[in-house]
Amino acid sequence: MAERILVQGNEAVGWGAVSAGVEAFFGYPITPQNEITEWFARELPKRGGVFVQSASETGSINMLYGGASTGRRVITSTSSPGWALMQEGMSCLANAELPCVIVMVQRAGPGQGTTRHAQMDYFSVTRGGGQGGYKNIVLAAASVQENADLVQLGFHLADKYRNPVVMLTDAVIGQMAEPLELRTLDLGPLSPKDWALGGKGAHADGKRRVLSCGQGQVPLEPYTTYLQFIRVLDQKYRTMQEQEVRYEKYHLEGARLVVVAYGYCARVSKEAVAQARKEGLKVGLLRPITVWPFPYQALKDLALGGAGFLAVEDSLGQMVDDVKLGVEGKGEVHLLGMLARHADTDAGMILPQRVLQEIKKVYPGGH
Amino acid sequence: MPKGTITIDERFCKGCGLCAHFCARGCIVVPGDRFTPQGYLLPLFAHPEKCNACGVCGWLCPHFAIEAYKFAEGKAPTQVVV
Amino acid sequence: MTTTAEKTWLSGTPKLWVRHPAGSRQCPGCHHPIIERLIAEVVEEMGLAKDFIMVVGVGCYSRAIAVLDFDGIFTAHGRPPDVATAIKRTLRGKPIVMTLQGDGDCLAIGAEPLMNTVARAEKITILMINNLNYGTTGGQMAPTTLVGQVTSTTPQGRDPALTGFPVHAPESLAAYRGVAYTARGSVHTAANYQRAKKMLKAALQKQVDNIGLSFLELISACPPDWRLNPVESLKFIDEKVIPEYPLGEFKNLDKLV
Repeated sequence: MAERILVQGNEAVGWGAVSAGVEAFFGYPITPQNEITEWFARELPKRGGVFVQSASETGSINMLYGGASTGRRVITSTSSPGWALMQEGMSCLANAELPCVIVMVQRAGPGQGTTRHAQMDYFSVTRGGGQGGYKNIVLAAASVQENADLVQLGFHLADKYRNPVVMLTDAVIGQMAEPLELRTLDLGPLSPKDWALGGKGAHADGKRRVLSCGQGQVPLEPYTTYLQFIRVLDQKYRTMQEQEVRYEKYHLEGARLVVVAYGYCARVSKEAVAQARKEGLKVGLLRPITVWPFPYQALKDLALGGAGFLAVEDSLGQMVDDVKLGVEGKGEVHLLGMLARHADTDAGMILPQRVLQEIKKVYPGGH
Repeated sequence: MPKGTITIDERFCKGCGLCAHFCARGCIVVPGDRFTPQGYLLPLFAHPEKCNACGVCGWLCPHFAIEAYKFAEGKAPTQVVV
Repeated sequence: MTTTAEKTWLSGTPKLWVRHPAGSRQCPGCHHPIIERLIAEVVEEMGLAKDFIMVVGVGCYSRAIAVLDFDGIFTAHGRPPDVATAIKRTLRGKPIVMTLQGDGDCLAIGAEPLMNTVARAEKITILMINNLNYGTTGGQMAPTTLVGQVTSTTPQGRDPALTGFPVHAPESLAAYRGVAYTARGSVHTAANYQRAKKMLKAALQKQVDNIGLSFLELISACPPDWRLNPVESLKFIDEKVIPEYPLGEFKNLDKLV
């Protein structure tokens, strides 16, 4: 019988990370994810791991770069303003092809914004805010259990592709408390990290290893030219898009309206969809678990089957663009965004009743 | 009798002139009429007979164009050919 | 580089320096590659090659990662101290980790990583090459530019009323409790090259002996951006640079206090 504990979403991140064998955490204080940093400060040294508090998020991401270069599993976490500071670091991680996990607990912006929930960093996280058009897998958690499980999946995918993975949540998912089953996921074998640094004496062939975020300027083994490196990135990103799409289907059978939502909005939408079905509406929810790569094909198939779409997100409209891209104009796409929050203060949320109201409003052919 | 000798690899020389400047014995000169394909002025190990194997030219050549050697006891060539 | 019965190799290309197409773009008379030679010799003489990890910042010296035959990583501008900290900590202190940075990389954009790495007393070695400007990008003013020095962003010469005064890193860092060693050397004469080698050995020994952070500044000529030829640059170092930036050790502790 697996152990179950009642725990906050933020702390579940730590439990998932140690199940995955994380060895080091580098982070900086920022609300609403301080519980993650503090969990690692308490629990990681007890398990022989390393905790370092950096002097800024630019510090944390560059420490992550260093930690990841050793081939060990390393993690950082932050919120939106800190995420902004990490952009150059993300770009460098992509160039040096370093696996690691970055947990991003969204809060409202722009600027210092609020310390509470929002989903206003979708573009930045999925399109990459740093230079060079790199891509990284983004896993979006919608529960405390997923906070733990997706961190483990994140480490696996990061190692598989030699690329950073972002685990995206928000202040609601981070602060809520739910039961968590402590489990280690078996995700399959991975190749050894022959590329990792450790001093020449640590390598079986005794030869040096070099890693660089300047592959292009000064191509270093295994690359001899810039385009050779870019072709490798291109292939990597194509493979991710072909093989790593994940999403949850809820009541999609015969759905004439598909709600698309992630994070806390997915929890809210699920309640609304359940209620709508009770009232006889053929509504379903498609919850992307990977917001990159986004489940475009699934949306296209639903559109070709005649469905309309309602994107529900706590922003002025970001994820809705991906829904439109997937639908390819073959169906109607509506948005319920943050102006539908129940209150004007920073505590305002998109609530199930409001989503249900909108479902009824945009349901094809009325209801 | 020279105590040592050097080689200058003209592929890597960038004509900075530091070797000629540092050689305490004046063994290396920059004649001014020999250039690399890039147009750098080439030095010349013009006085090999004076080389005292100090190694300074090898240590301070920024472009890894010079290797300096010390002859074994009694092994210095009696006739120096550059 | 042969040693035969007739002759022994003295100097030139040390074992740990390997020619690489990306590593040979230095300007004539630049001292950065002389410093590459110094690093290669020290690491070989101390027997550290199999445990050594070099963390390079952004500048003309970044090419050192291509030519030095031990593990290395190239980082974002100013970030080597953070990257080095993480490598050292994640590998539980086993490797010998040294950053290689320029004056702008270390003291301007890298000020945050530097000050906090020093404050946290990380047991790494920081080697800062000081050529008094941002050389790679064409010679802009840096924190270590001399008063009156003409650079591409101080075309009238550095004016303290507008841009302050040169920064003296090893002197200031000596004040931090976590710092075991700071020094400044140069490679512009044979004697100074040998003294600088001793300084780097002393700095790395602080890490080998697990004492504390070590910091070494090495002056380097930058002939094109100093608007001097290579031999004139040596004179400039003697007459203008060293009076501002004296050579020597500023702190050398066997134990942190």
